[in-house]
Amino acid sequence: MGAPEPAASLPDGGPAIEVNDLTVAYREQPVLWDIDLEVRPGALTAIVGPNGAGKTTLIQSILGLVRPAAGRVRILDRTIQEARSEVAYVPQRGTVDWDFPTSVLDVVLMGTYREVGWFRRPGRPERIRAVRALEKVGMEAYQDRQIRQLSGGQQQRVFLARALVQEARIYLMDEPFQGVDARTETAIVEVLRELRDRGDTVVAVHHALQTVPEYFDDVVILNVRRIASGPVSEVFTEDNLRVAYGGRVPFLQAVSDAPVADLPES
Amino acid sequence: MLEALQVFLFDYTFRTVALGAAALGAVAGALGCFAVLRRQSLLGDAIAHAALPGIGLAFLLTGSRATPVLVLGAALAGWIGTLAVMGIVRGARLPEDTALGIVLSVFFGFGLVILTFVQRLPLASQAGLETFLWGQAATLMAADVQMIIIVGAGALALLALFWKEFKVLTFDGAFAASLGVPVRRVEFLLTSLLVVAIVLGLQTVGVVLMSALVVAPAAAARQWVDSLGLMVLLAAGLGALAGVVGVGFSSAGSGIPTGPVIVLVASAIVGISLLAAPGRGLLAEVVRQRRVGRRIRADAVLADLYALAMQHEDRRYGHPVATLRAMRRGEVGIERSLETLGEQGWARELRPGSWGLTPEGEKRARTRFLDPDEEPS
Amino acid sequence: MSGLDFEIQLLAVVVSVACALPGVFLVLRRMALLSDAISHSILLGIVLAFFWVQDLNSPILILAAAATGLLMVAMVEALHATRRVKEDAAIALVFPALFSLAVLLISRYAGNVHLDVDAVLLGEIAFAPFRRLEVGGHDLGPRSLWMMGGILALNLLFLMAFYKELKVSTFDAGLAAAMGFSPVLIQYAFMGLVSVTAVGAFDAVGSILVVALMIAPPASARLLTDRLPLMIGLSALLAAVSAVSGFWIARGLDASIAGSMATAAGLVFLLSMLLAPDRGVVASLLRRRRQKVSFARLMLTIHLLNHEHSPAAAEENRLGHLSAHLRWSPDFARQVADRAERDGFLDRGEGDRLHLTPLGREAARHFMTR
Repeated sequence: MGAPEPAASLPDGGPAIEVNDLTVAYREQPVLWDIDLEVRPGALTAIVGPNGAGKTTLIQSILGLVRPAAGRVRILDRTIQEARSEVAYVPQRGTVDWDFPTSVLDVVLMGTYREVGWFRRPGRPERIRAVRALEKVGMEAYQDRQIRQLSGGQQQRVFLARALVQEARIYLMDEPFQGVDARTETAIVEVLRELRDRGDTVVAVHHALQTVPEYFDDVVILNVRRIASGPVSEVFTEDNLRVAYGGRVPFLQAVSDAPVADLPES
Repeated sequence: MLEALQVFLFDYTFRTVALGAAALGAVAGALGCFAVLRRQSLLGDAIAHAALPGIGLAFLLTGSRATPVLVLGAALAGWIGTLAVMGIVRGARLPEDTALGIVLSVFFGFGLVILTFVQRLPLASQAGLETFLWGQAATLMAADVQMIIIVGAGALALLALFWKEFKVLTFDGAFAASLGVPVRRVEFLLTSLLVVAIVLGLQTVGVVLMSALVVAPAAAARQWVDSLGLMVLLAAGLGALAGVVGVGFSSAGSGIPTGPVIVLVASAIVGISLLAAPGRGLLAEVVRQRRVGRRIRADAVLADLYALAMQHEDRRYGHPVATLRAMRRGEVGIERSLETLGEQGWARELRPGSWGLTPEGEKRARTRFLDPDEEPS
Repeated sequence: MSGLDFEIQLLAVVVSVACALPGVFLVLRRMALLSDAISHSILLGIVLAFFWVQDLNSPILILAAAATGLLMVAMVEALHATRRVKEDAAIALVFPALFSLAVLLISRYAGNVHLDVDAVLLGEIAFAPFRRLEVGGHDLGPRSLWMMGGILALNLLFLMAFYKELKVSTFDAGLAAAMGFSPVLIQYAFMGLVSVTAVGAFDAVGSILVVALMIAPPASARLLTDRLPLMIGLSALLAAVSAVSGFWIARGLDASIAGSMATAAGLVFLLSMLLAPDRGVVASLLRRRRQKVSFARLMLTIHLLNHEHSPAAAEENRLGHLSAHLRWSPDFARQVADRAERDGFLDRGEGDRLHLTPLGREAARHFMTR
């Protein structure tokens, strides 16, 4: 932890995230096979795929939380360790104990812990920023609430605020729409668009295939290996989804008449 | 009772012992919060039991009965026990509870074997190692208390220094790692502090029961407050209280081991907290449930009154209680519900035994039952 | 070997086997620590019943102890159900309280009788042969041997009578309910059995070492086999081995028999953990070492396949490139490539360029889609 590094200027056209030959295995069981991926800066990118496709593992490998068996990840042409302050993470809501004794504002303040640094506590400036972040997700009225009293959608918005307060340039989110109410879904989408319009990059694991074309610009279709990735209009096709979901696509719609993208095989 | 108070205030030995018990109760309470929140309540039990062979071996190897030596041995063995638990879970892929059970009981059994060696030594200094089983506060010397206070203060200082990291790690480990917090090292430090808190109390509370003093104050404190900082402070206070009261009781009767007394006091504190804490307490919950139940029953009667009023040309007409009871299929407590409605100003007793809607009651019934989206409250 | 030694060993074996049988299901049901909680809590039942009947040999003590064990389980479940504390904390709160109460009662009111605080932890297996069961002037052997034998028989009967129910409710509670027997009923009957077993064993080895006898042999057996009947048999066998070797360790060192039995059970577990043929640490390390190269070989073929037709193939599919992109050391990369070549997965072209063979392409496709 330390002071945030100055924002590196990005060479024109360079990817926000670059994944090369990434293989991740647990006990010699492959979870991700030789993934190559480039994430466009300033775009909203969805990661879709069936259960066990390695979506969460991909996010966690990008964050450096999982040790890959092979391959590498570059973020803004730097290693994750060098680029920590540029990256914010929204884990799955269900992974934490919501009975933890803490308040909404306190959770959001955790997003400032890195820049505050060792041995120091967040002060007034951080509090002000945390309240601002809560305002962005429409939760400022709840800042003193115990987190146990929140609904699922409200919990998700608090997690989003915690990421916003990091003022990062890349946001990695694990199922931000999982089990939230319609109002929260709209609020989150609005925030994501605002981030994109500011030039930030958002990558989200997403479950509901029918909203992919509406919410996202780009999509990564994953099932242990990368099936396809690119603009939604080009790669979000029935064929690609069928390859990923093994013919049992939970939702299929003639997304576009765009040509079927090149598949790595078949 | 007066005598006890006198002892409490003026007896030097007692004050020393009580101070020691308070200090270790505070340290155990504060650090126990993290063990409880990380669902490691039973790891504390394994660490405490695993410490026994460490105490025995430290004595056998050094020949010293000095508390710091024994505590160091206990801490090392406690740590090895923790590593053994992790090793069994990762290496043998067995569930954690099995690993904890094996480490706890095998280390303890090995400790008992070591103790039989100690007991055979012809040294006079051997006396007293058994006090580590059940705890005997009377054996606390001024130097022991000093050590407890110094080491305990050190542990609490580290807790304060790394507060942010401990907090975010305990709440959301994956997020902590994404912030660049060195999760492994911070976890190592936190577990080490737990080991320290446990071994400090072994002489007073004993290996068999020490883990209860780690868990109980934290579980009690959680019921009263909703912030981690307050929880840690309150748990420290409750731990100290349990220590002092326990020592008081055990020195009142001769030969009573201190550990069980302290644990019973701590358990009583937990019981009171679970019942009486405002908000989370079970009594508060009962009151809340009653109130909700009463409102639901009153609402049902209000709905009946409304339905009756709609059928009658005079909306303010009084309907007999018997009718209302019949509509609720003879349910008891109709009167109570009517009273509730009366208190709210939604219904009125027009004649003895006959109730009718007020204009407010009619409005309420309309908004509540016909257009639930526009509920006024 | 004197008759005394023989009787102690026989008792040790009977106690250990009686503990290991229910222990199998404790381990499989992830309730290992409930045995710890039960073996502590039963003391309160023993003490209270003793105050009532004033006889340490009364069967009432066993019933009361079993009842406290069940009470403790119910208290933990009730406490957990309030959702005010997590399950681990609920266990860690309830049994120390009951145990403390029992110890206080003993040290305050029963200090002069046969029940003392040290025996609670150590058990008295060494003295067991001195308490004989005599009927009509005939010596029938140690009293505790008869009691533990009875408990062992009870365990065997229970296991035989309810094997199917125990098995189904352990692996699939929902299915058990659908098949018409209540998992809750089985659970409480089983907990009652654990309590009764703990009471008998408690006499011999004390409250804490009961846990070692109940958990360590089944955990060792779990590492040695995946089949339930075999696991039960192995648990009993390892329990007996631990008991006898524990006895001789104690003899050799002149140390506590109960403590040595627990230590021996721990050693048996350690050996199983290291040497188990499939799940052991040594076997795993060897297998992983073997798998590392074969896994890497697969990784290499898949990598080559993915880049075969890409414009960068000339660059990507070079041996030198592998160490940069897959983060392999040059040595390891060469070793893997050699292995893949030997297996017929690839050919080497000019300038270290690697080409997939049709066989390699087939293998990569097969494994990538699983």
